[in-house]
Amino acid sequence: MLLEVRDLHVEFRTRDGVARAVNGVSCQVAAGETLAVLGESGSGKSVTAQAVLGILDMPPGRITAGEVFFRGRDLLKLKEDERRRVRGAELAMIFQDALSALNPVLSVGDQLGEMFVVHRGMSKRDARARAVELMERVRIPGAAQRVRDYPHQFSGGMRQRIMIAMALALEPALVIADEPTTALDVTVQAQVMDLLAELQRAYTMGLVLITHDLGVVADVADRIAVMYAGRIVESAPVHALYKAPAHPYTRGLLDSIPRLDRKGRELYAIKGLPPNLMRIPSGCAFHPRCPMARDVCRTDEPPLHAVDEDRGSACHFWRECLDG
Amino acid sequence: MAEPILEVSGLVKHYPLTRGILFKKQTGAVKAVDGVDFTLAKGETLGLVGESGCGKSTVARLLCNLERPTAGSIRFKGEEITRLSGRALKAVRRNIQMVFQDPYTSLNPRMTVGDIIGEPFEIHPEAAPRGDRRRRVRELLDVVGLDPEYVNRYPHQFSGGQRQRIGIARGLALRPEIIVADEPVSALDVSVQAQVINLLERLQAEFDLSYVFIAHDLSIVRHIADRVGVMYLGRIVETGSDTQIYDHPTHPYTQALLSAVPVPDPAAREHRERIILTGEVPSPTDIPSGCRFRTRCWKARERCALEVPALAVPEAFRHTSGPAAHDSACHFAEEKQVVPVEEHGNGPG
Repeated sequence: MLLEVRDLHVEFRTRDGVARAVNGVSCQVAAGETLAVLGESGSGKSVTAQAVLGILDMPPGRITAGEVFFRGRDLLKLKEDERRRVRGAELAMIFQDALSALNPVLSVGDQLGEMFVVHRGMSKRDARARAVELMERVRIPGAAQRVRDYPHQFSGGMRQRIMIAMALALEPALVIADEPTTALDVTVQAQVMDLLAELQRAYTMGLVLITHDLGVVADVADRIAVMYAGRIVESAPVHALYKAPAHPYTRGLLDSIPRLDRKGRELYAIKGLPPNLMRIPSGCAFHPRCPMARDVCRTDEPPLHAVDEDRGSACHFWRECLDG
Repeated sequence: MAEPILEVSGLVKHYPLTRGILFKKQTGAVKAVDGVDFTLAKGETLGLVGESGCGKSTVARLLCNLERPTAGSIRFKGEEITRLSGRALKAVRRNIQMVFQDPYTSLNPRMTVGDIIGEPFEIHPEAAPRGDRRRRVRELLDVVGLDPEYVNRYPHQFSGGQRQRIGIARGLALRPEIIVADEPVSALDVSVQAQVINLLERLQAEFDLSYVFIAHDLSIVRHIADRVGVMYLGRIVETGSDTQIYDHPTHPYTQALLSAVPVPDPAAREHRERIILTGEVPSPTDIPSGCRFRTRCWKARERCALEVPALAVPEAFRHTSGPAAHDSACHFAEEKQVVPVEEHGNGPG
């Protein structure tokens, strides 16, 4: 297994109290596999990624428990300089907002080249040549001429390609992409997702795709982990999950999105709001919004029940949910 | 079709680009909206879709009289409203209200919810007598599904979805006949989006509202709109009923746009053809000659560079009565199905 997260807990200490952002997340990613982590804002999906990558702001953030095994080593136990060597070379990240993730005062060629200078000890000249190759690889037109341009001189879609080029520069084993296409227009989003999928196949990388978009997930993911209030509430192969969700939250999400391929009647709306992470409801965190909730849901936190050998649901009544 | 409540024709908005400080010289123009025509019937929802920079938000601002068009006409119940001023302008504005995208920046953080929703009454005192305003505000909160007791709270005490409800309540305060909603749900989480969409639909039925619904999300527009206009670089390139546009598109841009939308059904991924457009949207300061889409179109021929295609029923479909016979600004319009037809049909919708 390429990446294995075990029982990760993260909290934030704020003036108003402790926000429990991640509450026991466990998941795995194999080489060449795409895991989609789906959740709404505040579900803990990005915080989980930041903790795995070691880029969580601490303080106020604090990892209170858990292990993150990457190629057999626990990343959480590494020293910062060891971890930095892993990050970039073996483990890379793609952010949502390329404009703020790229350095505005360095040309894109210098930023791409820096990867090779720092991690591979290349000369500046060789690094520049590799930068041009990478830009061609992510299909930036006129790469040789544009290598001296600065990030602001590129369009949103092109900047996102540059960030992908940067993440893939050292051929990492695993890439974590946090909403990589959310800020892009739909036709550009399709271009960028296609590129990402193609490069993933070429390098047999593991890919963790963090998103709120059920459409994007259906298009590219092998497996999916649905997060709610800092926990994975359902984990399943993508076909099985869309066919029959085993958690009422997943079902609610699928029923609440308007569809391109059919004219809907009234949309199903999950009642209420996502919980405040400082006051997560007792028992099952979803119970105040759940149409199936019973007494046991208010008192007992459901474990991740094994629905199938490769499928889990944190619902006391997953069987009923599965039957619709 | 019912009598139109809004008729837009030849609408143009150009923002001049100037050079020089003392002696300004116009060197060009950003052609944000470059000839838009449509009508809106009473009680109908027109969806305008397009990617960023296509001019859809500028159209919204022009409809609400927040900006003056460079050319063209907007008629509200037969009356030309683009050249109004003073009292007449105020009266029209009362009838066409706007709901904005971002519920975080469109509400004044220093005003209570009651003051925000009641503010339209300050500007249009004739809409509600002073003594009655408090009651009206509470009523509006109730209509959009918020507790009337919240009237003294501030925007930061609400979630994004609740703030959008406040924005909608403000839009309804003056009992307008038309609401122009510019990306009203795109800043909201999926589970909250559905609540707000359902609210907008309920209010439409309750108050007999007409909507111009502007969004980049084609699935949401299909859900809410009766008719759809697809915009590209300042113009509507194809328009028709939701079935005509989604199931029988004839303009290549519409086809590419629809084919790029992810469908939440992994079973569709194998047998779906994606049209990946090459290149990028040209700058609105330098619009291509002839058909403005030709620089990215896989069908483009010589004629496309020379002749601007009119938004009309294409020659090929002019004598047919099928769903492909709708307005499409393409010289080589062909019907092509790009949205997968659902087979299993066990979904909830």
